[in-house]
Amino acid sequence: MLPAAALAFQLAVHTTEGGKREDRVSAGAAQKKEPEQKDKKPKKKKAKDKDKAKDKEYPQFKLDDHPSIHLAKGTHIDFKGRFAADVTDSDAPAADTTEAAAVDLGKRRVGVEGEIHNDVEFQVEAELASTNTWRDVYADFKHFDAIRVRGGHFKLPFSLDELTSPTHLDFMFRSLAATHLAPGRDTGVMVHGRVVAKTINYEVGVFDHDGKNARTSNPDKVYGGQTVAARVTFEPLRNRKDAGADLSVGGAFTTSDVPEGIGGVRGLMVHDQKFFSAGNFTVNGKRRRTGVEFQLRPGPASVKGEWIRLATERKGESVEDTDLSPLVGQGWYVSATYAVTGEKKSRLDRPKKPLFQGGAGAIEVAGRVESLEFKSGDGSEAPSRSPRAESVLGNRDKVVTVGVNWYVNRFVKIQGNFIREQLADPSQGPLPPQSTFTTKAVRFQLSF
Amino acid sequence: MRRRTIALTVLAAALAVPRAAVAQSASDLFDVSTLQEIRLSVNTRDLATLRAHTDLNTYYVADLSWRNVKVRNVGIRSRGQGSRNPIKPGYKVEIDHYTTGQTLAGLSTIILDNIWQDDSLIREKLAFEMFERMGQPAPRESFCRLFINNEYQGVYNITEEIDADFARRVTGETDGTLFEYHWSADGIWRAEDLGSIAAYKPKLEARTHVLDADSTLYDPIVNLFHEVNGPDDAVWRSRVEQYIDLTQFMTQVGIEQYVAENDGILGYAGMNNFYLYRFQGTTRHRLFVWDKDNAFLFLDSPLPTTDGNVLFRRAMAYPDLREVYFSTLEQCARLAAADDFLLLEIDRLTGIIYDAARNDPKKQFGNDQYDAAVQFLRDFASRRPAQVLANVAGLRGQ
Repeated sequence: MLPAAALAFQLAVHTTEGGKREDRVSAGAAQKKEPEQKDKKPKKKKAKDKDKAKDKEYPQFKLDDHPSIHLAKGTHIDFKGRFAADVTDSDAPAADTTEAAAVDLGKRRVGVEGEIHNDVEFQVEAELASTNTWRDVYADFKHFDAIRVRGGHFKLPFSLDELTSPTHLDFMFRSLAATHLAPGRDTGVMVHGRVVAKTINYEVGVFDHDGKNARTSNPDKVYGGQTVAARVTFEPLRNRKDAGADLSVGGAFTTSDVPEGIGGVRGLMVHDQKFFSAGNFTVNGKRRRTGVEFQLRPGPASVKGEWIRLATERKGESVEDTDLSPLVGQGWYVSATYAVTGEKKSRLDRPKKPLFQGGAGAIEVAGRVESLEFKSGDGSEAPSRSPRAESVLGNRDKVVTVGVNWYVNRFVKIQGNFIREQLADPSQGPLPPQSTFTTKAVRFQLSF
Repeated sequence: MRRRTIALTVLAAALAVPRAAVAQSASDLFDVSTLQEIRLSVNTRDLATLRAHTDLNTYYVADLSWRNVKVRNVGIRSRGQGSRNPIKPGYKVEIDHYTTGQTLAGLSTIILDNIWQDDSLIREKLAFEMFERMGQPAPRESFCRLFINNEYQGVYNITEEIDADFARRVTGETDGTLFEYHWSADGIWRAEDLGSIAAYKPKLEARTHVLDADSTLYDPIVNLFHEVNGPDDAVWRSRVEQYIDLTQFMTQVGIEQYVAENDGILGYAGMNNFYLYRFQGTTRHRLFVWDKDNAFLFLDSPLPTTDGNVLFRRAMAYPDLREVYFSTLEQCARLAAADDFLLLEIDRLTGIIYDAARNDPKKQFGNDQYDAAVQFLRDFASRRPAQVLANVAGLRGQ
């Protein structure tokens, strides 16, 4: 059993990408331990006084979860890094690199994060050897828990999966829906906070555009202009102490205007092979994303799911200059995990018995089913590849992923995934008429 | 009760059959006895871009209506060489460009020929009819009034694309190899030996078997023109005939000379306006005729017996091939004169398009010139047979 203070500290650094999120378990655990600590106070008083004196000496250099420098009380800089290498064997051909997007592969990422006087949180993170070097670059004024303000370059508040740090993903790759339909990062300002006894978490922001995920390296393709995004999650059982306390349900939306042109949203398979020629269709008008999500993590198990819809208007785009029905991308996933070594899901990245420290680490099995499809119209017209078709020739990729995650210790994680994809229309896939593709992949990840 | 429900369902389904489903055949589309009407709907921004960049082959989406048939999402692009212009663009219409398997009257592609260079608007159709009557296959063609976004664009030819379907129709073969000839100002060619595959590839674009290896596609063509330019007269014919049907070649040249075509095989700027077809399973080729807007151009056009064209010049050295050429010219003359075929055909075709032609807002030439051009054709039809027969008799006597 870890000392309460240590436990609280560990859980406090459990983060959600795009912003540090304190773990509510930490506060409860600390309160429970309080009487026991009181009894020990006289015996340890002298030592504690010594520690307190030492604590007032700044700067302090620490090597706990991350190398960090503490400059003053409540002011520190943490250094973070994540290095990953994948080994992949797939029967799908290599993707067309000219269409490769600024996707978040998170292979060699370094950064700093920290706090200033406990009022401002900041993060600067860069992806090495990437055309989109800068990831999260923001400051967050967090003096009031109910109203926090964040400004900079960070992920738009949309999609549980997209907002999860690559370090903490249950699978090697995010769901297709989150990868291609969620907006990703952009520059903007966001107000967020927790209200109603911290059961409701809200995020509302205004951003320059609608995120990197909707863009390709092709400058001729259009994407959303100024974007309003909002996400609300509700934890109705937060203040209970049973297995359902962790239940979270939520919804999100974004809205923006897209100028006339060929849209940048892509229908890509797990390894970026094109399965839908979304890049051929003209769009013009409002782009709206809608998402709903849920998550539950009872003990060593977890289950979560999302449904995302991205619809882009095509005003005046028909051959007769009338409106066409919106181009729709729609996806969903449901995933579940179970730690066979018994650790709670929320603490899996800190195995009870790390390798070479009396154990073999923590092992988790995971499974996910998902779908991503593109379409338009009501099906009354023959589908066509035409950029101005009322009913576009749609396609769907259904994916089943089975995985094993080995948390060797708190720094090293090894993931193995078996991925099976099935295309509804193989003629649009990478290797017609082959409709089913399998991928076996292993990822080695070092993070601190 | 259930039976009545089924009967009502069947009746409702029968009534719901769209008008577009009423069958129209290619013969209906190429029926020259009536002036067809083609309507295209094109997004106004696409249309402006297309007209601003007629030099490009970019495809745009259109809906096409003909009679009771409406075909959605066809691909159209600007086309032509000398006829390419932004005022009255010619269009290639790929019916299946965006929708696999989609056809119009069974055709996957049609050409909307702007007839830009022909002041009479009927030269090509007349020439193609001469070829057909002489037993040489030619693209089917009819006339239409073209409307784009309900605006009248003028008289166009609806022309059959020379493609795999055409080759199948006229040869009965399903697996021949078709090449489209591309004329180039910087490479005027009169059947000289160009040497390498790389030199022939841009001139002769494969339109079938496009995925075959270059050597498979072009080695027989390299060999053809290598032998055409071979030094040994004693073996010239046997070697060349392995690669081309010389009788068909001389027939095609003969017809072109009768109709006074100056932009064909013996054209003023080298060979032009033909397709090369390789019979399936062989190395032997023949020609298909294409684009005869410049036919019937000169009434007193001389009949060449030699030319800068190596293939024609050397073939003329063989009496039987020379005779094929002369007899073709004579047959054309007799055919044109018989029952005033050519003259009556000029009157018939002109009658079909006359009002539409005079009201064509975008044709290159004015109505006075149009009338004069038709009159010139009538003179040509009247005088050319006797002129050619006399010329051939004279040439035979040499």
